[in-house]
Amino acid sequence: MAWRRIWRTLVFAVCGELAVSAATAGPDYPPVLAGTVLRFPEDGGAHPDFRTEWWYVTGWITDERGVERGFQVTFFRVRTGIGEDNPSRFAPRQLVLAHAAIADPAAGRLLHAERSERALDPLAGAATGATRVWIRDWQLAWTQDHYRSRVDAGSFAFDLRFVPPGPPVLNGDNGFSQKAGDPKHASHYYSRPQLAVSGSLRVDGATVAVTGRAWLDHEWSSELLPEGARGWDWIGINLHDGGSLMAFRMRDERGGALWSAGTLRTDGETRALRPGQVAFTPQRRWRSPRTGAEYAVEWSIDIDGRRLELRPLMDDQELDSRRSTGAVYWEGAVRLLESGREIGRGYLEMTGYAERLRM
Amino acid sequence: MFEIDDLKKGFGTAGARALFEGLSMRVQRGECVAIMGESGVGKSTLLNCMAGLEPADGGSIRLDGSELVGLGDDALAGLRRRSFGFVFQAFHILPHLDVAQNVALPLWLLDVDDAEADRRARAMLERVGLRDRARDWPRELSGGELQRVAIARALVHRPSLVLADEPTGNLDPGRAAGVLDLLLECIRDAGAMGILVTHSQAAALRADRILRLTAGGLLPEAERT
Amino acid sequence: MSRVLGRIFVASLARRRLATALSLFAIALGVALGLAVQIIHGAALDEFGRGMRLLAGEADLQVAGPRDGFDDALYGRLAMRDEVADASPVVELEVRLPAHDRSLPIFGIDALRVARVHPALMPQVDEARRDGAALAALQSDALFLSPAAEAELGVSAGERLEVLAGTRVVSLRVAGAVPGAGQGRVLAVMDIAAAQQLFGRSGRITRIDLSLKPGIDVAAARDALAPGLPAGVEVLTPRASEALAAGLSRAYRVNLTMLAAIALVTGGFLVFSTQFLAVARRRQEFAFLRALGLERGALMRGLLVEGAVVGFAGGLLGIALGHGFAAVAFDVAGGDLGAGYFSGMTPALRFDLPASGTYLLLGVLAGLAGAWLPAREARRMLPARALKSGDEASMFRFHPRPRRAAACLAGAAVLCLLPPLGGVPVFGYLAVALILVGAVLVLPMLVRGVTRIASRPRRALWRLANARLAAAPGQGVVAGAGVVASVALAVAMAIMVASFRDSVDRWLTAVLPADLYVSASPQGTSGFLDPAALARIAALPGVSRTMPVRFDTVRLDDRHLPVSLIARPLDGGRLLPLVGLATPPPVGEKPAWVSEAMADLFALGAGDRLVLPLGGNPVAFRVAGVWRDYARQQGAVAIELADYRAATGDLVANDVGVFLAAGTSFDTVAAAVRDILGENAVRIASPGEIRARSLAIFDRTFLVTYAMEAVAVLIGLFGVSTSFAVLAIARRKEFGVLRHLGMTRGEVGRLITLEGVLTAAAGTALGLVAGTAVAFVLIEVVNRQSFHWSMDLHVPFGGLLVFAAIVIALAGLAARVSGYQAMRGSAVLAVREDW
Repeated sequence: MAWRRIWRTLVFAVCGELAVSAATAGPDYPPVLAGTVLRFPEDGGAHPDFRTEWWYVTGWITDERGVERGFQVTFFRVRTGIGEDNPSRFAPRQLVLAHAAIADPAAGRLLHAERSERALDPLAGAATGATRVWIRDWQLAWTQDHYRSRVDAGSFAFDLRFVPPGPPVLNGDNGFSQKAGDPKHASHYYSRPQLAVSGSLRVDGATVAVTGRAWLDHEWSSELLPEGARGWDWIGINLHDGGSLMAFRMRDERGGALWSAGTLRTDGETRALRPGQVAFTPQRRWRSPRTGAEYAVEWSIDIDGRRLELRPLMDDQELDSRRSTGAVYWEGAVRLLESGREIGRGYLEMTGYAERLRM
Repeated sequence: MFEIDDLKKGFGTAGARALFEGLSMRVQRGECVAIMGESGVGKSTLLNCMAGLEPADGGSIRLDGSELVGLGDDALAGLRRRSFGFVFQAFHILPHLDVAQNVALPLWLLDVDDAEADRRARAMLERVGLRDRARDWPRELSGGELQRVAIARALVHRPSLVLADEPTGNLDPGRAAGVLDLLLECIRDAGAMGILVTHSQAAALRADRILRLTAGGLLPEAERT
Repeated sequence: MSRVLGRIFVASLARRRLATALSLFAIALGVALGLAVQIIHGAALDEFGRGMRLLAGEADLQVAGPRDGFDDALYGRLAMRDEVADASPVVELEVRLPAHDRSLPIFGIDALRVARVHPALMPQVDEARRDGAALAALQSDALFLSPAAEAELGVSAGERLEVLAGTRVVSLRVAGAVPGAGQGRVLAVMDIAAAQQLFGRSGRITRIDLSLKPGIDVAAARDALAPGLPAGVEVLTPRASEALAAGLSRAYRVNLTMLAAIALVTGGFLVFSTQFLAVARRRQEFAFLRALGLERGALMRGLLVEGAVVGFAGGLLGIALGHGFAAVAFDVAGGDLGAGYFSGMTPALRFDLPASGTYLLLGVLAGLAGAWLPAREARRMLPARALKSGDEASMFRFHPRPRRAAACLAGAAVLCLLPPLGGVPVFGYLAVALILVGAVLVLPMLVRGVTRIASRPRRALWRLANARLAAAPGQGVVAGAGVVASVALAVAMAIMVASFRDSVDRWLTAVLPADLYVSASPQGTSGFLDPAALARIAALPGVSRTMPVRFDTVRLDDRHLPVSLIARPLDGGRLLPLVGLATPPPVGEKPAWVSEAMADLFALGAGDRLVLPLGGNPVAFRVAGVWRDYARQQGAVAIELADYRAATGDLVANDVGVFLAAGTSFDTVAAAVRDILGENAVRIASPGEIRARSLAIFDRTFLVTYAMEAVAVLIGLFGVSTSFAVLAIARRKEFGVLRHLGMTRGEVGRLITLEGVLTAAAGTALGLVAGTAVAFVLIEVVNRQSFHWSMDLHVPFGGLLVFAAIVIALAGLAARVSGYQAMRGSAVLAVREDW
């Protein structure tokens, strides 16, 4: 009902579906400027002045019996511009939201859950100084040399540890990631690919030990989406050779690319991919029986002259929470193939395919 | 057969003073007996004792061999319902029942069904010459007519004994004779017994026998004269 | 047998239509009043309970504190507890609406949390106006109205509503609705942070609703959570708070139900009178039926069935009337019949089957009870004697029963000493019943006494009336019992209400010592006067001195409702209407004065230690005295403002009493205060206005009581009138003889009137005495135990005498009118006729 809409509004404010015009009265959100130098672990923490920020972990995990599953946990932070002058601890200056999902081929669809809170110590918050975001017992935090995330959604739960093999990979121009032709639409953006996963997972009432590879994105901005954008397609792939590939495109109303970019890291060398070097071409499509939205679940992706193929872990990885929070997008585990050979695994995200939202 | 033997009744606290004692009498089927006496001698009390409306202090009252003295209130009520008929000086016709209903009243008490009760009440009314008045209200009837209704009511359920207390006391002499004759005739026809309490010599003379109630007991009128 | 029952007994009801109709109507009125009270309160309580549940939502536990709330840091601590699945913080506010001259309950909630604990309070953003309004429910000026609030205030989404915050008028945007609030509930919802900031409640919340994790035992969780709470904050189960709140109005409801019951009993009296007289009149008929062989038992059953039929018919009529009364009352007075217990609700009228069934049964029982004595009398009758006319006089030869009367009155005295049962003065009501029974038992003796006095005059009429009453004092009892009962009731209520009103009046004078009152929150908590405003008022020319008042509630334990806290300068208790002596506390201890209700409920007396949670800390006080308070039934405690400020650091005030310098006009200062604070921000009133308003509310509350009283007296007069009507018919023969003897119709009429007046005089005199006794019980026992307040006995002599005179005159008139009807027939016929 009301909260579904508010949630939807929030999620898409975060995800960029909603183009909030700069004319809206509100606080002065700092611009994202090229040349800003990112420092760690400080920049792993929150940047509460900016409008939106997220920490986004996806990955493939395998249990002792060899069952492969995908997982996703995302924490969003939103500076609402409301109650900036309100001394109340309840003042909704900052909201924290979280999504968690498990892609289990045995279930054939996603298990997912979400939470939302106003930042309010000790219940929920996004700390500065180092990565630490939490909503009550759901959390993602950096300690010394690893991340840890715990989520208990009732129907599933996980407690995972992520160890990065090396320093963060800065996307775009040293972490300045442009989203449109106009450089004001940009974010600060770094990724942590090839995270070694270990921990436990509970599904169907049974807790199993799991290992795997994961990917963390941390991105913050004040004005992400250009006018006319309907959604985006994004991939983050851990390559089997130890490298990583991130690529995205901003899509217009008709499905054409407004902007695309990426980061390819091979043999310890990071290359920023410019708009002309990244192309997404839909192949096989799948229609959601729940929402009626049609997603391309197989893609061919051209990266700087290489033609790569994307294949999903399973077709139905749509996150449909219209009954509770209203967000609808496809967020799923995929394999990356080159010449029919699997060269990496990661996640594909497609937003803005569901029926036109009534805002 | 209605028999009274050695009947005793007192008044005052616990019957301290005897109103009468040692009373005895017999009434045969088909016989009507008149009881006469001075005012205050206890005629009505005697009648009440006979009907079981007042308890006797001693002696015996038997109707067709069964003893009345010592019976409980409800047993006496049942006996009255089946075996007694009453005719009062003041008629006691219920004003909110019509004539036929008044006559049928004893049958209602005996759980005779409505149609049968009505049939018998009308037959009885015909017998007393009031066939056409069955659906009239009591207030529309004269005193003589009311007493004829009372006679019909007293006999409608074929009682063994009809007790009449000054039945013509409220009637003018002209009407009285006719009503009294009708009452006695009906009792004799039905093979019942009749006891008539009166202080009217004229009325008493129509009975088969006359008994006089005195301080000394019930004496046959013939012995006195 | 059933034919005899139908044709002889029940049919006789139709023959005496007037008497039957009056008895039937009396029972109908009793049933109707009782049922209406029941329905109204049932519906109101139902709605109240639904409201409580609505506000509690699906919470397993509620953490609640004083009205001004507690430190909101507690929320975080509780929400993180292992036992807690979800927690929802609430700021409850009563906010004044300057443009509507009323207040509106506003719930400051966390819209992101509320859905899980009480979905009914979820705000819904208005569809049409959502453009660009992301996060609409969190906006600090967004207000969401329940459908009832929208309807009552005439404001809809997109419009603005002005509210009073402190002394400031703030305009809020109606951003949508609270569809879950239900039809009858007037409330509004806004963001908790916005509410805190706007209404000066930063850092404070009034409630936390908790839902527990599956498998957690509610009682165990309650025990685990309670120790960590600050003073004055308790963990409650929602059902317990519902019961506490409903208990508050229970005494009031029981009181009204008792009044209805007395009306019903009076109806039963009336059945008694008419049945008794009918039995007397039909004595020969019954004797004759017995002669025909009808058993005693059947006769008694027949008469009881007559009574039951009247009761049943009256009950059915009463059920219809009761629902009608309830419908009218809902329209006119609201669900609490004007008493103010259930404000802000409009309950719906429904057919109440269990209550209707119960009251129908009560009606039948009243009919049966009324017929019982006459039926027993008929059962005992000796048919042989009753066949003779004139025997019915024996029925009226009532034996005076001084011992029984004395036993009843002594029993009443003993019952007055017993404590209430479950907060309801059951024994007080029993004492009232015993006093009434005792009074009726005294009546034959009194009638005898009255005739002795009346035998002085030598005139024939007086002699005849006197002879009749002396020979048959029972006639006086039968005709007078209804008068005694209804007059006693009316007198008792009149004395009680007069005493109450008088005491309230004097109390108001005592609690309103200042010349002018500035109130920032007459009904609610949204308004307050900050220290700067207080200082400016004090500095106004013409103001000699000011008396700031701070109101709050404090929760002393989880078994009682919170009590009101009043902090103001008290001058050592001299500014309070103290009951009994003040006992100043030892030097160095802080004094507190508790209201009578609080003294009763918490078993406190002067000299006792009292710990009040102030500002989240326990603060020790010493009870220095008990004061009279008619305003707060759940209890109130008054402390010196200086002590309050020292303990809490809270310097604002809700009201301020202003003492004017000699020669200063009220209007000048009032205008100056309005200049400082704004036109609509505060209410300014003189003590006279407040008094007048309070007494108007008082009178409205007792309106229903007056109405029920009038009905009782009406039923009593019915009794006189039917008794005499039936008696006159029964005595037609006697009157016929009198006319044969040479009395004129007029003289016979006067005779009946005289008898009526003498009977009513005896009944009324006794009713006055019994009523005074009942009033004493009502004041000292029933009110004291129900509402915990005392009052000074105030007997409105003049009014009562006028009332008594009117009752006697009406009784004479009723006797005359009904006797006249019986006199219309021919005297000759009357003598000749037997029936």
